[in-house]
Parts: sequence; C-alpha cells; structure tokens
Amino acid sequence: MSSTTTRKFHKDRGLVTRMYFTMFMLGFLYAVFALFLMQVAGLQLIFVGGIVGVMIVVQYYMSDKLILRSTGAKEVTAEQEPALHKMVKQLADRYEMPMPKVAVIDTAIPNAFATGRNPKNALVAVTTGIQERLNERELQAVIGHELAHVANRDMRVLAIANFLVTVTSFLMTMLFWNMLFGGMGGRRNNNGGGMMMVYLVTIVVYFIGQLLVLALTRYREYGADHTGAEICGDPGALADALEKISGAVNKIPDKDLRKLQTANAFLIIPAALKGEGSMNLFSTHPPLQERVKRLRELEQRMRYGLR
Amino acid sequence: MGIFGGNKTPKDDWSVMSTVIKAEAKLQALGEITPSRRAGVIYRNDESNSFQRDIKIELNEVLYVGGGATKTAFEIEDDDRGMRWIVLEDGKFGDLVSTVYTVGNAIGMNDGADNLLAAVFELYFTGTVEDNTYRSGLRTYWIYRYDRKAFYPFVPTGESEGDRDRPTEARLGHDLGKHGLTVEKSLTEWMGLWGIPF
Repeated sequence: MSSTTTRKFHKDRGLVTRMYFTMFMLGFLYAVFALFLMQVAGLQLIFVGGIVGVMIVVQYYMSDKLILRSTGAKEVTAEQEPALHKMVKQLADRYEMPMPKVAVIDTAIPNAFATGRNPKNALVAVTTGIQERLNERELQAVIGHELAHVANRDMRVLAIANFLVTVTSFLMTMLFWNMLFGGMGGRRNNNGGGMMMVYLVTIVVYFIGQLLVLALTRYREYGADHTGAEICGDPGALADALEKISGAVNKIPDKDLRKLQTANAFLIIPAALKGEGSMNLFSTHPPLQERVKRLRELEQRMRYGLR
Repeated sequence: MGIFGGNKTPKDDWSVMSTVIKAEAKLQALGEITPSRRAGVIYRNDESNSFQRDIKIELNEVLYVGGGATKTAFEIEDDDRGMRWIVLEDGKFGDLVSTVYTVGNAIGMNDGADNLLAAVFELYFTGTVEDNTYRSGLRTYWIYRYDRKAFYPFVPTGESEGDRDRPTEARLGHDLGKHGLTVEKSLTEWMGLWGIPF
C-alpha cells in the first residue's frame, strides 16, 4: 500500500554484526569510564563531561550550518544548479527521503560530503572540482553514496560515538595542565596520585575509543558504498569515481613499452616494497583499494544476477 | 620432448599465457566480446641472430612442418620504432594462443629471450551487456609482457604516446582478473604500445 515507510535495503550481514559489536563495545567503554570517574575522581569531572556534552549537542543540532560555514560551502538553488538539483532529487526519491539541501564548494579539490542529523535536515555538498572531473554516471554514484550516509543516519551514530573521544581528549588536556600547575581551585594536597591514575586511564580510554570510532567509521563507509550501489544499480560507477578521484588510474603510464631497456627485466621491484597499502590502520575512510574491490565484486554479482 | 629439446626459456610462459583462453571463452559465453582472431608477437629484431635474420623461413618450418603443424597464418611487419611484429590470425582462439606461444618460444629458444617484448591479443566488445563501459565495437588489446609474465589491458584512444582510456583499462583489468586472466598487479607497468600494426 503506502510507500511512506522507510525503504529496506539488502544488508551485508557480517558488516552489520561487526558494526553493532563495535557500537556495543563503545557503549561499554562509556559506562565503565563514567563509573570510574565517579568512583575515583568525584563529580567535578562528570560536570566537565556534562559541559562537553552540551557543546556536542549544540554542534549536533547545528552541524549543517557549522559545516556550511567551516567549509565555505554555498547552498545553491534549483535555478543556480538545475542539473545537480535534478540529480539529487531523483536519488532522494529513490531513497524515499525528503529533498536535502544542496551546496557547492568552490575548490578544485574533488570531494563531496553529506551532513544533517536526520533525513529531514540533510545537506549534501559537492566541490566544483568533483563536478568537473566526474561524468554524470560517476557523480550520481558519489551523491548516491552520500545520501546513503543520510539514510543510514551515520551522522547521528558517529556524533554519539565521537562524544566519548571528545570528552576524553578534553579531559586529557585539562588533567595535564592540572597536574603541571598543581590543580585548580586550590585543592592541592589530597589527590596527587589519584589524578595521575585518572590521567592514565583517560589516555587509555581515549585510544581505545579512537580505535572503535575508526572501526565504526569504516563499517559505515562500506555500508554506504553498498546502499548507494543498490540505489544507483551501478556499483562500478562509484568504483570508477573513487579511482578517478584518488588518481589510482593515473598510475597507468604514458610510456611506450618499446622504450623499456632490456636490463629492466632483471630489476623487478615487488609491489610490496613500493609502499602501496601503508596508512591503512588510521585512515578515516577504509582503504580505497579495498572499497573498490568490494564494489567491483558487488558489480559482478549484480551484473550476472548472482547473489 | 619438444621440437627444441632445450629448457632455456622460462617454463611458466605457457601456464600464464594460457589463462587468456579461459578469460576469452568466459567473456564470449557472457556475450560481451566478438570472436577474437588476431594477435601478435613483438620483439627487438637482431640481425646478428641467425634465427631472427631468417625469421620467415624459420617460422614456416616451426609452424607448418611436422606433427604440431598449425593453420594459423602469419605476417611479418616492422614498425617505425625499430621493432618487428609477427602478426598472427586464426579463427580458433585456442590455436591462436598456442601459436603465439610457439612463436615466442621459438624466438626465445634461439638466443632471443631478451629480445622478446610482448604478445598482444586483439579483442572487440559487443556492447550487448548494458553497463555503459564497454561500448559496442570497443577495441581492446590484452598485452602479455614477457619480462613480467602477466597480462594487462590496453585501450588506445589515438596514435601518440599517452593516448589511452585509463578508466576503462583499470576496470577491464579488474574484470579480466575475475575471469581468470593473470593480470599485472602494478599499474605502473601497464606500458602502452601505440601504433599496433593490426
């Protein structure tokens, strides 16, 4: 009957499981840390946490405006960017979500992002660089991916996940100065060792939290790749776009094989030594090669109807 | 025992090169390409090498005399970059591939292993599979580099160096790997061959 219910997507089971596990671990870490603070450090620190919390809530509710301001993105009307608007509208319809705000960032760097705490307050932005570099099919795939983040409510998930990391990093800085200058508010003598303990635990919590948030980001990213590909029906388009933007394709040389000296036959450097595949653990987005690989596999399955 | 008896050429050329038969058959079955019939072997011609000097006579012997005789036709072409091409044609792709192998092997066996550059197969897409990438009549070359022992796709868009369709190549390389072709992993080694004489 009615089509107003949220559209259901084919889910990647393992991915969803790992994601919920990570979220559970984050929640667990939160709770343990809060208990620890109350037991060892007394309530002032919780109070600090409260303040940071309020900041985050404000940021969360104003994220679209904040991001518009900090990135220099300009909201555009359907008259200014008819093609872009039409594309976003078509995709939003397929997600059965309201039309998000559309913005353009005037920079040659190819990029795109989405923000907004829920589909009703969503904004999708693209740079002029990405508009110039990608063809229609690829741009559609990129926007499809960004709208998938909105549909999956990734901004909310990550805002909550980030909360702990933000609180702990705030505490870390505060405690550091606190210990250096002997505390604030004149309470000098009763908590030297305790403070050190709190400081160390905060550092540990910060790093574990950071790793969990990174893992969560990665799963959300794969999830958006998957959802976006299903909505556009063309996983290869996003893979092409990613390769184009990252310049992986530009590794294919201009050089003619006939210019190769025969001696080169004996100087084969294994690809592993060229440093490809480093920087994997701490990149916010999952490794590009891995995303492209997954998309290409999905493409094969979709093209030939295998599941 | 082979015709040439020796074991000087690297052994795994055939095991890698023959993966092209399977990949081609797979794409044919999927209706993505038209039957392929042309290929070539490119090498740096060395007139001081007697086999290469008498290449026509030698190949006539190797290809058409004796038990392993083939029906594959060959022509010799020199390009303007000082290289010699053995251009081969055969309606049966499996036979074409084995002749390409035999030609390269014969040159390699006769002190020419270092002169061998590549074996090149020509394949046309049908465009019947609706995916916006491999348009109907798209001509692609699948290059086998003897020094790397691996294939990679080459889709030239012009005659001058650097004119190539990189996104299509990247995607094709991935697809071909999925269909069983041994694909060169390092993209920086995917060197082009502009002005292929077939």
